Amino acid sequence: MSDLRIPIALFFGITGCLLLTVTGNHAALTDAPVNLYAGAAMLLFAGVMVWLARRPS
Amino acid sequence: MALGTIDYLVLALYFAFVLGIGFMMRRKVETSEDFLTSHHSVPVWITSLAFIAANLGAQEVVGMCASGAKYGWMTAHFYWVGAVPAMLFIGVFMMPFYYGSKARSVPEYLRMRFDEKTRALNAASFAVMTVFSSGVSMYALGNLFHLVLGWNFTACVILSAAIVLGYTFLGGLTSAIYNEVLQFFLIVLGFAPLSILAVMKAGGWEGLKSRLPQAMTHTWQYLGHPDQNPMGIQVFGMVAGLGFVLSFGYWCTDFLVVQRAMAANSMSAARRTPLVAAFPKMIMPFIVIAPGLAALALGQMNSGYAFPLKESGGPDYDLALTTLMAKFYPSGMLGVGLTALMASFMSGMAGNVTAFNTVFTYDLYQSYIRKGAPDSHYLMVARMTTVGGVALSIAAAYLARQFNNIMDLLQLVFSFVNAPLFATFLLGMFWKRTTGHGAFWGLLAGTGAAAATHGLTIAEGKGGWITPLVSFPSTMAQNFWMAIFAWSVCFVLTIVVSLATPPKPESELTGLVYSLTPRISDANEPWYRRPLVLAGIVIVCLVGLNVYFW
Repeated sequence: MSDLRIPIALFFGITGCLLLTVTGNHAALTDAPVNLYAGAAMLLFAGVMVWLARRPS
Repeated sequence: MALGTIDYLVLALYFAFVLGIGFMMRRKVETSEDFLTSHHSVPVWITSLAFIAANLGAQEVVGMCASGAKYGWMTAHFYWVGAVPAMLFIGVFMMPFYYGSKARSVPEYLRMRFDEKTRALNAASFAVMTVFSSGVSMYALGNLFHLVLGWNFTACVILSAAIVLGYTFLGGLTSAIYNEVLQFFLIVLGFAPLSILAVMKAGGWEGLKSRLPQAMTHTWQYLGHPDQNPMGIQVFGMVAGLGFVLSFGYWCTDFLVVQRAMAANSMSAARRTPLVAAFPKMIMPFIVIAPGLAALALGQMNSGYAFPLKESGGPDYDLALTTLMAKFYPSGMLGVGLTALMASFMSGMAGNVTAFNTVFTYDLYQSYIRKGAPDSHYLMVARMTTVGGVALSIAAAYLARQFNNIMDLLQLVFSFVNAPLFATFLLGMFWKRTTGHGAFWGLLAGTGAAAATHGLTIAEGKGGWITPLVSFPSTMAQNFWMAIFAWSVCFVLTIVVSLATPPKPESELTGLVYSLTPRISDANEPWYRRPLVLAGIVIVCLVGLNVYFW
């Protein structure tokens, strides 16, 4: 079976990078930099997926 | 709600990836078994996440948020009482029969255990049910995106259908399962930030408790009497109706979810699938229900958020999730949130389509239309059934749009059929004396009992079409009691008819009935691979959650 963790990592890696390009956008009800936090979390998640896929079984 | 370029980019990226996974899986499909059952080759972590993602359709995500706002934290019972215990039961006790019998579907297990007519009854009702469920999912998607974003209903339906068709046609069940895992992570990462932001804005859990009525923030404390809680139900109705009949009936017998576990690469993996899935399932209320409570609290604060209202003036609970997204997500994360919503719709649709094509191909076409054809023929039929299933789903979506009451009626009829099913399986798997005649007539009588209960009771203006003898405070309470009566009638009648008819020889029941099947020993497995140990850990967590939120 193909390792699904790689496409998942790729998807969230790209999405995370996209979010990090628009960290200046703010929502109506929060001052928190939502795109920055979410983008960083997605990149971290992508990294974990890659690590799990590369880890010797 | 207006989307920016970045939001459309995220959506387009998601479409590209789900289709890409379909293309990746296409190379793996050579036989009908590859296409329809994944040839029992999928690792346990993937089947586990697909097991819950197939149930994580948009009606679930949007509906649970709406129920959170309407009924409060009691809605968590749909997970902690109405899902996890049944998932433990199927993993520990039932999966050895499903997987060990080599049945390719739940109706096929019914044929092996009982007879042809019981299989036909289950297969036909399930096939119709899945097509309509998929159609309702499409209708809900088209309706919501039209309402929230102003998108064209037909464009939404056709686009989502085309993409689901694309990846299920290419890679079959494996492709659907793989995509469900991506969809699961997207749903969690897309909605969890909303839950955190909304609950924090409302003052955290303590803030919610101080702003909402006490019955809205407890799970068990106000279940003593129907008048004490917004759901209008008491402990027995909740535990017996939701926690036993409806929950076990769905999680233990519905092929849509059971199919994911049956795709696992070993008996051990199949048994662990629902057990591993139980861990994220326990966490889901914090992601999908908590925002509903937060929306209600924020609506009462001077926070800049107004709870959505219907034209008639009453609260529009179904819009709680999307209105929160509009207020808490900036462009970028808004695209992720809407893509997660789209993913939840598509996982629900694909789950139904892949279950439909398996049951139609194996249990209807191969059994009654053309037996003994070469495998390549069944692979072709399976692919054509996938196309047909999606086309019928689109038709069902339009039917739902034109005649909303017809869809309500159909869903009601399906609930009549589903309610007694767990009694049939329970007796079939654990009492070797159960006969095919008993199962068949028990199922029919249970369905009749469900219909009669609905006709004799009334709740929120629904039911009572025979004569309204009893009134329930909510349709939810009515549904729970309908399920209890249907299950009880099916259980008793199956026993009575079974005792009056000859049973199958015991030699034909090995591997299908508990008392005639050798026990599986897992003594040499590490603790994290033993179903009983995993189930024990889940139970401890479950008790902890129920006590904490008592």
